[in-house]
Formats: sequence, C-alpha cells, structure tokens
Amino acid sequence: MEKGKIRRISGDAWMAYALLTPAVLFFVIFMFYPIIYVIMMSLYQTNRLGILMNFTGLDNFIRVMQQETFWAVTGRSFVWTILAVIVKTVLGMIIALCLNVEFLGRKTARMLFIIPWASSVPISSMLWRWVYDHEFGLLNQTLISLGITQNPPVWLGTPIWAFISCIWVDIWIGIPFMALVFLAGMQSVSKDLYESASVDGVNAAGKFFYITLPSIKQIIFIATLLSSLWTFNDFNTIYILTRGGPAGSTDILITAIYKSGFEWLRFSDAAVMAVVTFIILMVFSLFYAKMYFKGDEAL
Amino acid sequence: MKKFLTVFLIISLLAASFVFSAGQREPEKPKVTVFWALYDGLTEAYRTELQNAFMAEYPDITLDIVPVPWDQMYDKLTTSLAGGNPPELSIIGTRWIIELLEMDAVAPVEDYVNQATLDNIFDGTKEAFINGKLWGLPVAAGARILAINNDITTKVPATMEEMRQEAIRISRNTNKYGLIMPGRKHTELTDFAYYFYAAGGDFFEIKADGSYGKSLVNSPAGVKALEFMVQLAKDEVVPRGYLAQTRMEAHPVFYTGDAGYVMIGAWVESALQQAGAGFDVTYAQIPGFAGYDSAPLVITDSIALFKDAKFKDEAGLFLDFFYRDEWKARFDELIGFPPVTISAAELPQFQTPLYQVLNEAAAHAKPWPLIDGFAEMTDIIWDAISFAFLGQKTPKQALDDAARAVDQITGF
Repeated sequence: MEKGKIRRISGDAWMAYALLTPAVLFFVIFMFYPIIYVIMMSLYQTNRLGILMNFTGLDNFIRVMQQETFWAVTGRSFVWTILAVIVKTVLGMIIALCLNVEFLGRKTARMLFIIPWASSVPISSMLWRWVYDHEFGLLNQTLISLGITQNPPVWLGTPIWAFISCIWVDIWIGIPFMALVFLAGMQSVSKDLYESASVDGVNAAGKFFYITLPSIKQIIFIATLLSSLWTFNDFNTIYILTRGGPAGSTDILITAIYKSGFEWLRFSDAAVMAVVTFIILMVFSLFYAKMYFKGDEAL
Repeated sequence: MKKFLTVFLIISLLAASFVFSAGQREPEKPKVTVFWALYDGLTEAYRTELQNAFMAEYPDITLDIVPVPWDQMYDKLTTSLAGGNPPELSIIGTRWIIELLEMDAVAPVEDYVNQATLDNIFDGTKEAFINGKLWGLPVAAGARILAINNDITTKVPATMEEMRQEAIRISRNTNKYGLIMPGRKHTELTDFAYYFYAAGGDFFEIKADGSYGKSLVNSPAGVKALEFMVQLAKDEVVPRGYLAQTRMEAHPVFYTGDAGYVMIGAWVESALQQAGAGFDVTYAQIPGFAGYDSAPLVITDSIALFKDAKFKDEAGLFLDFFYRDEWKARFDELIGFPPVTISAAELPQFQTPLYQVLNEAAAHAKPWPLIDGFAEMTDIIWDAISFAFLGQKTPKQALDDAARAVDQITGF
C-alpha cells in the first residue's frame, strides 16, 4: 500500500467478508460471548440463575482460592491429565507400531480397535460402571472365577481405586485416537529410510528412535496437545463413574465447576474455576507450542 | 462493484425469504413440556398412554413428557432454568421449592388448575404451600418403611440395636446380607436420615420464630447414627461393595432376595413385582434406637409450574387431566405411594397391608428441612459420611467439620 493513500476494498475482498460474516457471527455468538460472560460472572456476585448482581472485583477469586478443595481439585487435575496422557501416548505408540506391521487380519484389527473411540464417552463410561460393579460386575466376577482373588477391591468405592478406575476408562477411550494418529504418521514415513538403515545394520530400536520418532514428531506434538486439553476437561468419565466421589477424591476442576454451578448454584465460584481452567490451558498450550518450535529450530 | 451487487442481492433475497416465511408461519401450537421423574415402578407404557390420551382430548396442544432419572432431575432442571428455557412442569423433590422460590422461577400452581382438582388433594400433603400460596401439587408423598425378606428372617425389630443383632445373625449363618445400606453419594441423604431421625436427631435447631438456626448434624444423635452405620459396615452385614452403591444399585440386592432388611419407600412392592421376586415380604416401621420412638423420614414430591414457561394455562389443563383417578390412581399404584387424592384413597387397591404400614408411618414421620442450599449441605454431609466409612475421620470429627461447613452456608 502506498503511503498516504486509503486502501480501497476490492470486490473480491467484499465477497470474502460477506462469506466470512456467518462464520464470524457464529464464533462471536457461540464462543466469544460465553467466554466474556463467564469472565464477567467471575468478577460479579451472581444470583441463583447466574444473573450478574454486584461487581465484586477479585473477591470471588480470593474466596475460591482460600478453599482447600480448590487446590486439591487443581492438583488432581494435573495428576489426572499427566498420568492419562503419558499412558495414552506410550500405549498408543506401541499399538500403532503393532498395527503398522503386516499381518493377517490387520484391517479388521484396525477397525475393531477404533470402537472405544467411536463410541460415545457416556456410553463407554456407563459400560465401565457396570464392569466395575462390586456385586454383579464383569471385572470382579472374572477375578474371582480365575482364582486371582476372592476379595476383589471395591473399584469405585475407595479413593485410590476410584481414581485409578476413572483414569483407566479415560485411557481406554483415548488410546485409539492416539494409536490411529501415530499410525497415520508412521505410514507417511518413507520406506527407503528403513531400508537404508537396515543396510547400515541399524536394529529395530534404532529405527524407531532415529527414524520413526523424529519423522512423526509434529504428529506426536499435535496429538499429545489435543489429548491433554481433552483429558483435562474430561467431565463425562468422572461424572458417570463416581460423580467426583468418594468424598471428593476423584473431583477434578471440570467436575468441581459443574457441581459448583449446576448443583449448588454458585455460578460465580464456578466461573472463577472456569477462568482458572481457561488460563491454565491457554498457558500450557502456548508454553508447549513454544517448547516445540524451539526444539524444532534447534534441529 | 458487480460482485458487491451480487452479494448484496443474495443477502437481500435471503433476508426477504426469512421475513416472508416468518409472515407465513402458522400460529405456534402450544407445547407443554413435562420433566417426568422415573420412579421405580413407573412404566414407559403408562407415560406414553398418558401423553397420547391427553393429546387425544386436547388435539390443539402438544404434550411432551420427558422421562428423567431421579438422580439427574435436579441438575437437568437447574440447567434448563439457568439457560432460560424451563419446562412448563416438572416433578421436583418438594424441598427444592425453597431454592426455586429464591430464584423466582416458579408460579403458583393454584392459579392454573381447577378448584375441584385442588379440593380433591389431602391438605396434609400440600407441603409446597408457602407464604399463603401453593407452589406445587403433591405428586407422591410417603413415609419410609422397613421391608423384611421372610425367606431370610421373620424378626420384626423393635429397635435399631435389635435390627443390627438380627442382621449379624443373618450374615454369619447364611450366605445373605443382613441389611442394605447404600454408601455412595446420591441425590438424597435418605440413608443417613433413617438412622439420624431414629436417634431423635434434627438437622437444624428451630428458633423461636420458626426459622432454622445452627446445624445439629453433629449433635449426639448425629454421631450416634453415623457410629452405628460405620459399625454395621464393620460387622460386614451390608454388601461389601456398599461404598460404591447408590440407592439405585443397592436396592436390587434386596429385590434379588439376597438381603434380610432394607429401609425403603412405598415403591418396594411394585419394584419387587417387576424384579420377579419370589419371596414373601413383611412391612414394618423403621425402628428407633433403644429409648427413642420410631421417626421415619417422609418425602413428598410435587409438580411445579414454572414462571417463565410459555404455556402455563395449557399446563394447568394437563394437571387437571392427570389428577383424575383414571390416571393419578394408576400412577400411585405403579410407583406404590399412597394416594394424595381423596377419591383415589378410597379405591380398593389402596387398602392392602403395605398401605396400612405406610399410613401408620406417616403419622409419626419427619420431613426434610425446607431450607435454601440444602443440595450443597447434602453433599457436605454425604462427604462426612464417606470420610467416616473410609476411616479417614471419626464420625464425630467428620460431622463436626460438616456442621461447620453447613453453618458457613447458612451464616451461623
């Protein structure tokens, strides 16, 4: 653009703006407005329907952060996310490696493998709730009939087992996504590289660490980032399996937000936790991206 | 410029078509949405028949009876209210009415139903009559009772202590459980209330003006009740997985004939029938602890009409229709609760031993406290119970902490 001249908007640009308008409107109404409203709720006293009443500044943040349970659920959210994403990534990678090898029935195996991810999370969680049932559940019946134990744990009734049981369901649902994404990445790696490595006498582990991993690094980054965001916000699994119990031992931020807002009608407190969640995930995503690109430049 | 004109023309045509279609739209047919609690015993066939019969009588009104599991009802309702999209009617736990009034969400139902319908309802069941107005029609009202599997025991305990002794005998001498005791948090605090009320407890002190004061959940009665519950678990008279069982998961163990006693509501008979139970059952009063009178919990549920609903008059028509004996008595029979309507109470099907025990229980039963924020308090007390069950706190410590937290909510 020349200095001093006002740029005219061309006909093409008008067309582009016109076509973008519905999408922008959709974004503003359904994404931007709710986010702004939640931020405002966190700064206001609200009534039991979530209507803004009096401006209270950061008082809501101070009050919520003085509660022990807030720090407990925040800490648990990190443990939950880190454990689940690590296991999903490792198991997803192992399964992708297995599915990348030619064997009879590979296509069927791939199709079957996607079932947990293709099923809706509430249905999968309900299914696992039945599996974990102490009296009639498949898991305990199996453990007893195989003679492994006559006294199986109360899976959803004690804090540590309930947490492990919930994490396992989240992992079970999430592994196929990781495996399929990794598999897609592996299939795009040139076979010539592996052949050259074989000629040079590189073993399978060497091929994995020096060819496969660097080649699918970008895919691993995207998959783990998405998985981290989804896992941190995994409401359905915990709500259906334990509703955060026993005694709050499986509550994470997202379930605490729901309880605070829709069960106790404390919308300001829920909004504070939602804003904290938003900030955590935003900072994490930016930091993760920065680390990734820094590492990329170094290569 | 030509492209700009093209875009302008397209947008104008779209806008015009919207305006035109809006102008041509037929007047909106009234639609009454009802959040319909899934009581044990209530069948899908009944819901469908009721819906179709009403629409046959009122062809200009669409009726949408939305089945909602009880443990999701409160969340579904508050979510729809917060979203500004309430149903016309919803079955609610009557104790929720205080919060709904606080939200200014409900309309006085008496303004929308016939006087004849109102006159046919027992006054004693109109728990939602607050500040001179009736905010919900009672839909189910019943005290809790003790059901005894006669194949396992015939002992009708006179005290809680006797019940424990018999439960111990059952679990030691048979491969059955002595007693059902859900240990996992669910919507209601019923399972604690049975023991708490049996020890003479009250959730709050009552001030001179009748309003609620400090929490009494950590009173000697509360501690006695929780210590007793913890002891029952230690005695191993309840299913070992009780900590993972809500009411919905625990009661089927009784229906399958695997437990001697269960404290339960009036739906027990229809639930047993549906489960195909082949054993005889005795119904009795929930006993008090030694030295205390029996004081069972009584629960009333109501149908509330929502202030911001679009079709309140049509909702009133549905209520008049539903409260006819043809439908309401069938409803009562299915869910097993004693009728709330005078005409239905005289029908022969409500003159059985179960209803005699229920009527006797109602005479000395205690309801929930009607206090704002009870949902949060329920969660707090449930957590205290869980801490005691898990051995992380003594019953006294857990209830002291709970009482402090409850008092913080109520401002005491």
